[in-house]
Amino acid sequence: MKHCAAILMLLAMPAFAGWEFSPAIEVGAVKDRQVFHHLESANRKGLAESAGRIALAWEDDRNGEPRCWLALREDKARAFSAPLALGKDECYEPVVQGMGKGRFVAAWEENGAVWARPADSEAAIRLSRQEAAHVTLARADARTLYAAWAELAGKYKRIMLARLTLDAGGLKVGYSVALEDALPVDEQAYPALAVSADGSVTVVWEDRRKKHTMMLAAHGADGRKFTAPYPLIDLPQVRTIDLGAGMGSMRPALAACGPACLVAVWLDKRDFLSGYDVFAAFSNDGGRTFGKNHKVQDSFGDNIAQWHAAVAAAQNGRVVAVWDDERDGTADLWLSDWNGSAFADDAAVAGASGPGVQSDPVIQLDAAGTLHLAWLERTEAGGTRLKYASALWKD
Amino acid sequence: MIDFLNLRTLLAALLLGAAAGAWADPPPDYPFVSYDKGLKLAQETGKPIFLYFGRYGCAWCDHTNKQSFSSAELKKIYPEHFVLVYVDAESGKRLRLPSGERITEAELGARFKAFATPLFVYLTPEGKEIFKAPGFKTVQDFKDFDRYVIEGHYKTQTLLEFLARK
Repeated sequence: MKHCAAILMLLAMPAFAGWEFSPAIEVGAVKDRQVFHHLESANRKGLAESAGRIALAWEDDRNGEPRCWLALREDKARAFSAPLALGKDECYEPVVQGMGKGRFVAAWEENGAVWARPADSEAAIRLSRQEAAHVTLARADARTLYAAWAELAGKYKRIMLARLTLDAGGLKVGYSVALEDALPVDEQAYPALAVSADGSVTVVWEDRRKKHTMMLAAHGADGRKFTAPYPLIDLPQVRTIDLGAGMGSMRPALAACGPACLVAVWLDKRDFLSGYDVFAAFSNDGGRTFGKNHKVQDSFGDNIAQWHAAVAAAQNGRVVAVWDDERDGTADLWLSDWNGSAFADDAAVAGASGPGVQSDPVIQLDAAGTLHLAWLERTEAGGTRLKYASALWKD
Repeated sequence: MIDFLNLRTLLAALLLGAAAGAWADPPPDYPFVSYDKGLKLAQETGKPIFLYFGRYGCAWCDHTNKQSFSSAELKKIYPEHFVLVYVDAESGKRLRLPSGERITEAELGARFKAFATPLFVYLTPEGKEIFKAPGFKTVQDFKDFDRYVIEGHYKTQTLLEFLARK
């Protein structure tokens, strides 16, 4: 009888819920040549969706020098288009933003400046005046988006923001502002950007003003004038001996998880004995404040360094973080879903885990609930391949 | 070997606790260069490479700089024996690898598995890793490491074996 009850209980339990991935496909393949692809960018924003179309932006050296590329995949198509060149010269850290109706805007660094253009036009506009890098984008509505980047002002770079409009005539800059009026006293870098339903803009970035790399955030209710920066990390600065300046943290990512919900993730070295961990913080007031910090990876990842963290979110509150680590011996991609109070146990990404090196993910969740993921796979010869897969949540 | 070194570092770290104050850059009075420049110099001179992964604000880098790299003896022998390379493990500064690939200093840290700073990596003149030593190291540690590499002991024994026999 006891056995029958146990069997009935097992049958009543739901099957294991999780992301079910499509087979991975290669993007922008180069034959007979070793190529190095890169998916690094401010906010790791190399992947976007727009009305079922997927856009992937990356940098590689197929032409002998680093260049930026964009490939599109039409809705349900089996493959991506041949790569389109972004820019005309040495180029780094491209990003792409979906604008609806199948349109995209891309931005990148080229010759020490940051540029942007619609994916369907070669007319690029220069966003920066001085030496600049680390550009990223976020959509406000079908014809409005924001760009943020780090631009030289005096001795150091500081975070700049521009409001852009996209219409039939192309891409135009409405205005650009520095987040702070004062000249920077140390480096600011790698901004991540999100727009809330009320139109307000939140920026999170790496900042060295306290003589270590910390995460700062600022909120602009009108997208033009920003609050004083405030720290995202919820640890007090502890000073016990006259050494160092503070813990390390780097490469923030930010996504909107509801009308007034934002989620930030970053690499965090508060546990300095085992490398960077992935940490996250949520804002429930559209970026005016962020709450306590949550460790993202589970205990199995505690004793190993995490790298290349990114986050995707949807307006229904679904949040998925992704990164790579070597807990199983070689670099694999790991996902963790927010369950409302904590990040769930880590799940290896099918097709991006197991033998070999799979790393450097970029991620996007579309409005229909499809998860899009791209990453790098190290080849036997030492180069890389660029891979893409999508996933649906199965209960 | 690394575990032994780690343990000592971790114990020291726990005793001292988290710290704040000054910040870490390469120690003064040493001719540190970038990773790509260092690889070229090592090829030209035949010297092994001493690769120092630091971090802006890193307490243990600062401690190592003050306690160990202030040594007049190290200031003499390390530049003589090694090509000295400093990498900021959180920096977006770009460098070019011998393969032609352009990566950032932070990405180089990921590839060397720079889980802690400071991390000291000794490399052959061809850029091949000999061993890694994470965390605070004393002047004597650095002198031992110097002998292990420069006298070629690494070709026949592990660092732990070498240290046990010295």
